[in-house]
Amino acid sequence: MLPFTVSLHSGESILDQVVYAVTRAVVTGQLRDGDAFPSVRTLSQELKINPNTAHKIVAALIEDGLLMSRQGIGTVVTATAPPAGSAPLDADVERVVIDARRAGMTLQQVIALVRNLWTRTGRPAEPRSRG
Amino acid sequence: MNAVETRELTRTFGTLDAVQGLTLEVPEGSIFALIGPNGAGKTTTIKLLMNLIQPTSGQAMVLNNESRHLGVKDWQRIGYVSENQELPEWMSPSELLAYYRPFYPTWDDALCGTLQEALGLTAAGPLRTLSRGTRMKAALLASLAFSPELVVLDEPFSGLDPLVRDELVRALLEMPGHRPWTVLVSSHDVDEVERLADWIGFINNGRLTLVEPIESLLNRFSLVEVITERETVAELPAVSNWVRHGAAGRTLRFVDTAHDQPESLQRIGAAFPAATIRSSRMSLRDVFLVLARQGAAERS
Repeated sequence: MLPFTVSLHSGESILDQVVYAVTRAVVTGQLRDGDAFPSVRTLSQELKINPNTAHKIVAALIEDGLLMSRQGIGTVVTATAPPAGSAPLDADVERVVIDARRAGMTLQQVIALVRNLWTRTGRPAEPRSRG
Repeated sequence: MNAVETRELTRTFGTLDAVQGLTLEVPEGSIFALIGPNGAGKTTTIKLLMNLIQPTSGQAMVLNNESRHLGVKDWQRIGYVSENQELPEWMSPSELLAYYRPFYPTWDDALCGTLQEALGLTAAGPLRTLSRGTRMKAALLASLAFSPELVVLDEPFSGLDPLVRDELVRALLEMPGHRPWTVLVSSHDVDEVERLADWIGFINNGRLTLVEPIESLLNRFSLVEVITERETVAELPAVSNWVRHGAAGRTLRFVDTAHDQPESLQRIGAAFPAATIRSSRMSLRDVFLVLARQGAAERS
C-alpha cells in the first residue's frame, strides 16, 4: 500500500503523474510533515514501475522540497516548504471551462466553485506559516 | 557495461530471414523490452542469445561470453523463462525448487521466500495439474531464486490474467542486494512493458527498427491534430518525420516522430498557417501501432 492516492494511465509521463499525485497528497494533507515516504523499491513494486523511474520520482520530489532524505530513517515528507508552483494547468483548466460551458454555468458560478475548492484543499495555516 | 551485446546477428531458416543484422546493447541493470508483432523475430533472437539455436552469421555476447560458448558456469548466472517452458510435470512447485537448488551455488533461500510471497505461490500438487499462471510463477521463481545477473523472459505475460501478471511483475521488481538485475523481456503486452522497461527495442520482419530509452521514445512521438476553420486539409506535406494518421471533418491527424526537437512546432505552424494545432503525448501502445503499420506497409 502507498500512503497517497494515484492511478496511473498511459499517455502521460509516469514521473509527472506520480509527482503530481504526491504534490496533491501534500497539499490536501493526505501526507504531512514528518510522514515516512515509501522507499524506491516499495514505490517500484506497488506501482509496477521501473526502479530507475521510481528513483527519479523520489529525486524530483526532494528537489521540489516535498521530501527529505534522513540518514537511517529513509525519506520523509517535508511540508514546510511550499510545493514548487506553476505546474502546467492549461489543459486541466481548459477541460473545466469546456465542461462548465456545456453545463450552462456562468463564469461567476465557476469562480465560486474554484474558491470553494481552494478553501477546502488548503490546510489551516499551521505548518505552512513557518515556511 | 552491457549485459548483452549483439553485432549483425542473423539467422535464416531456409529462405526465411528470421533475424537480420540485429545490433543491440542491453545496459547492465536495465529492463530492456524487445517488442514487436507476432512473427517479428523476438523468440528467435532470444533463442540465439540463449544458445538454443546458432546464428547463421554475426555474433552475440552474453555476460561477456560468446553465446555459442555458453556453458554451465554461465547458466548459473542467467535466469531464463519462456512462454512454453518445458518443466518436469510430475513435480510439485516445492519439489521443483528442491530439484533446482543444488545446481546453483548462489541459490538464496531468503530471496526464494520473499519471491514466493510476492508471487503468491502456495499451490501444491504436480505441475501438470496446475494452471498456466501457477506454472509460470513456479518457473519464474526457480529462475530468480539464485539471484541471476541476467534474467531473460520470452513472452512471460501472454495468456495470463491481470492478477498473475501483477504478481510476476512484483517478483521481477525485487531488488536482491538493493540493485536491480538486468532483465531482457520479449513481449507484445505493451501496457505492462510501458511501466516496466527503461529501454525499448522494436523488431519487425526480423529487423530491429528502433532501440532507445523509453523516455526519449515517448518524448519524441507525438500525435498532432490540425484543426482548420473551413475546409479539410486532406493532404499531409511530405516531411520525413510525419506519419499520416487520418483526416475527418475539419481535423487532420498525424504522428510527429521528432516532436522533441525545438523547431518541430514551428515547422507544423508554417505548414498549416491559420489552423489550430494540438499535440498530445502517445502511449507505448499507440507508438507500437504506428511502428507496426509502417512495417506492414514496407513489407507489402
